[in-house]
Amino acid sequence: MIQTTDIQMVEIRIATDVLVLGGGYVGLQTALDIAASGYRVILAAKDEVLGDSDNATLTGMGAGEKEALAALVDRVNADDGVEVLAETRLAGSAGVAGDFTVWLSGPDGVAERKVGAVVVAGDLACEPLTEAYGLTLSETVVSQTGMEEILAERPADLGGKTVAFMVGFGQEGNPLVMERVLSAVSAATDVDGCTAYVYVNNIKVAEDNLERLYLQGRNKGAIYFKLQEMPAIRQDGAGPLTVGFTDPVLRQPVELIADMVVVEEAVCASEENSGLAELLRIEPGPAGFLQTENVHNYPVRSNREGIFVVGAGRRVAALGSTLADAGNVALALKALLGGGTIAVPANQAVVDEGKCTICLTCYRCCPHGAIYWESDKAIISPVACQGCGICASECPMDAIQIGDYTDEAMLGQINEKLDDGDDAPKIVAFCCQNSALEAGAMAEQFGMPLPVGLKTIQVPCAGKVDIEYILTAFAEGADGVLVLACHTGNCKSERGNIFAGWRVEDAHRLLEAAGFEKDRLCFATLASNMGSDFSSIVTDMAIRINELS
Amino acid sequence: VTKLNIEQSKVMVIGGGIAGLTAAWELSKSGVSVELVEKAGFLGGHAIQYACKATDTCQQCGACPVEKVLKHVVDDPNITIRLGAQVAGISKNGRFNVTLAAAPQGDAAPGDGCDDYSQNPTACAAQQGFSKNNAAVKDAGADGSVDVDAVVLASGFSPFDARRKSTYGYGQWPNVVTGLELEQTKRAVGRVVRPSDGQIPEKVAFIQCVGSRDERLGNLWCSKVCCPYALRTAMSMKHKHPETEITIFYMDIQNTGNDFPAFYNQCRDDLNFIRSIPVDVYPLENDRLRMRFVDEAEGVPTDVEFDLLVLSVGMMPGADNEALGELLGLERNQDGFFAAAERLNAVGTTAEGIFLAGTVQGPKTIADSMAHAGQSAREVMKYLGGAE
Repeated sequence: MIQTTDIQMVEIRIATDVLVLGGGYVGLQTALDIAASGYRVILAAKDEVLGDSDNATLTGMGAGEKEALAALVDRVNADDGVEVLAETRLAGSAGVAGDFTVWLSGPDGVAERKVGAVVVAGDLACEPLTEAYGLTLSETVVSQTGMEEILAERPADLGGKTVAFMVGFGQEGNPLVMERVLSAVSAATDVDGCTAYVYVNNIKVAEDNLERLYLQGRNKGAIYFKLQEMPAIRQDGAGPLTVGFTDPVLRQPVELIADMVVVEEAVCASEENSGLAELLRIEPGPAGFLQTENVHNYPVRSNREGIFVVGAGRRVAALGSTLADAGNVALALKALLGGGTIAVPANQAVVDEGKCTICLTCYRCCPHGAIYWESDKAIISPVACQGCGICASECPMDAIQIGDYTDEAMLGQINEKLDDGDDAPKIVAFCCQNSALEAGAMAEQFGMPLPVGLKTIQVPCAGKVDIEYILTAFAEGADGVLVLACHTGNCKSERGNIFAGWRVEDAHRLLEAAGFEKDRLCFATLASNMGSDFSSIVTDMAIRINELS
Repeated sequence: VTKLNIEQSKVMVIGGGIAGLTAAWELSKSGVSVELVEKAGFLGGHAIQYACKATDTCQQCGACPVEKVLKHVVDDPNITIRLGAQVAGISKNGRFNVTLAAAPQGDAAPGDGCDDYSQNPTACAAQQGFSKNNAAVKDAGADGSVDVDAVVLASGFSPFDARRKSTYGYGQWPNVVTGLELEQTKRAVGRVVRPSDGQIPEKVAFIQCVGSRDERLGNLWCSKVCCPYALRTAMSMKHKHPETEITIFYMDIQNTGNDFPAFYNQCRDDLNFIRSIPVDVYPLENDRLRMRFVDEAEGVPTDVEFDLLVLSVGMMPGADNEALGELLGLERNQDGFFAAAERLNAVGTTAEGIFLAGTVQGPKTIADSMAHAGQSAREVMKYLGGAE
């Protein structure tokens, strides 16, 4: 095992002001929660007035919640710890956690500020899907927002009408989209003489109370047609529309007349997100959100220390659940910023200035955006660095050494483990401490079969496994070598497993060129809870080695 | 509430599942001592029994973060762990005085039948509390009385008892299993096997919404997690054994995450989806099963044979909720989960100093339970005056 020496710690002073981007409900709550921790908050909102009424509608806020929102705006405005910058957007950022410089563009030009952390609250966007249905908005074809306006302002207009709601054909949808439809259906059925038909694919009810809301509409007379194909809708000027579909119960084509068709809207990530991701150098996730689908970042972390994503920045969900993000980011900031000083190991990541040629390989490969350069050398921020060691293994000059995992320590350990005088075939398994190492310990604890000659070597991330380590293991007498990484998308350092896979491919080529059986070297992925898979991977390796020798 | 010295304050977390573990760890990191009370003999609740559902690629099921949080909790000297314990009484006079007692354990000890791991992996895994981290727990004992400043209720859910849907034959035919049992096996053995003979099944059916979204039972909620676990498990089975045929019987498919549309497309390529919930399951020779359902595409009753049937059982309110509600003076909602005091504050209760975390409040994924528990820990800190 790694020898933990008396680690020398250094104290670093860090900035503790926090920039919150977004003046919607979650942004406001986040600002207040952070201010309650005693940190000064700069709240940059793109609108002139806080409280963002667009998002209030999109998240299905009722009257009570809108009142709560107004009260929240008052509390933010009254809080001395929160500096509100209206009509202000992020124009640029530099630096690392604890020491960010941000440029904020507002009505009076661009201001430069120093902050310790940045929280992106983001906005939701609303996209009409009329085109997907081949329809044009008119008196009789209205959007979901249009229907909400009618229900709020002149519901009597719906009297005596047949209204057809369409949802789940122009998009897969989500519970927020569904909640808006179910609420409107329920309200429409309350209007005297209004009949609601709902044409729907998958009913997305995976939020609190939606199943009940769905039942409520049906009990009030709304009729649901659950179809897998989009109905054919004929729009003829301002006249009634015809909705054609195959009835799944009658199993025959049906045409129904509707006085009005309500077309669903997508509630999705804001288009501004991609620009924000670039400005903050964070990895965007799927569907335009600002968080990769990496469970290690849940709930509110990004791939960069000190940059957090909350609310609509990371997903579409009901307001009640996204508000949890505010409390979580406050906890994370407390842990990061503390009282303005942070203690870090002095040897976390050390750059040898004599060897560094500022080729910028480390800057480009660091998955945490922890590396920058000043005049003639690369600098690794000990606050932002997560110690994965990808940079150390990628550095063409071997100029970077990581904490307890220096090249000298690693090679020494390989030598030591292989020099045990044991006769059993020797299998060296380089194990990521976040996954394979834990899986191996589980296999051992549970008494699963493991080969006698297994030598486990801990690495901070599979991305720290140099080709040199692999070749040294073979040179020192290993009969087989395994590089065991996390599954794609599950690496705490985003790409360490991918780097490890590439290095194994390179090593395979070298082994083959040297006339060595390449099957003696294997790459596999595991999670920390896969003890039985660990057991089968190492056991299979032992069998393969026996077959080869 | 007067501002307390945070280092001297203590919080009780009731329930050692993923929400309780997360709340305990977050509170401890904030400088508070924690008493973690768990009625089972191991920590991690249901979540620690779930298997990784990755193909080569992680599918974000959230099972591995449970290991991580459990490890943090077990290693944390600030968290006192009490296994096999339950709350017997609680009184409030400024602080809470909580009396603990041994929780009744089932007749069969977990792990009965474990001699050798390779002979009976699921029993052996259960004996170890499903995780190597449970072996390191220092149990402070079930009895005693503790004074605490706040309480986090994280007592979780109870899985739907599939025997209540008697026509599925759960408990009668060996190859009818619940989603939870499927997970336990996959975790212990590394793959999905048929209980009758330990072999890899060739034709597998999942029935969704077993116990959830059921008007007849009065269960008017979606459990949120069953579509994700069924689809992810099915895709990981398919990855390991591409020749396995898998059918999903469903009403409506719920989303897994932000990339759901792409994931659902892959699922539709690899799995067979039938929008119909079968009513009857009949046993055949060789422990195979025959199911009858009305296929929407054909419109006539259809019979299909399978050799493994998985019931995607939903999340029901915890079996102890009624008793806990009485002890703590908390209201339950119409479904039997604990009601949050406000729609926009999902962790606060009507009782001062008592907070909710996780599925005790309603069905949640692992990720959402963790976020909810974090929010709960933060609200506790605010209550204790230790937000700063």
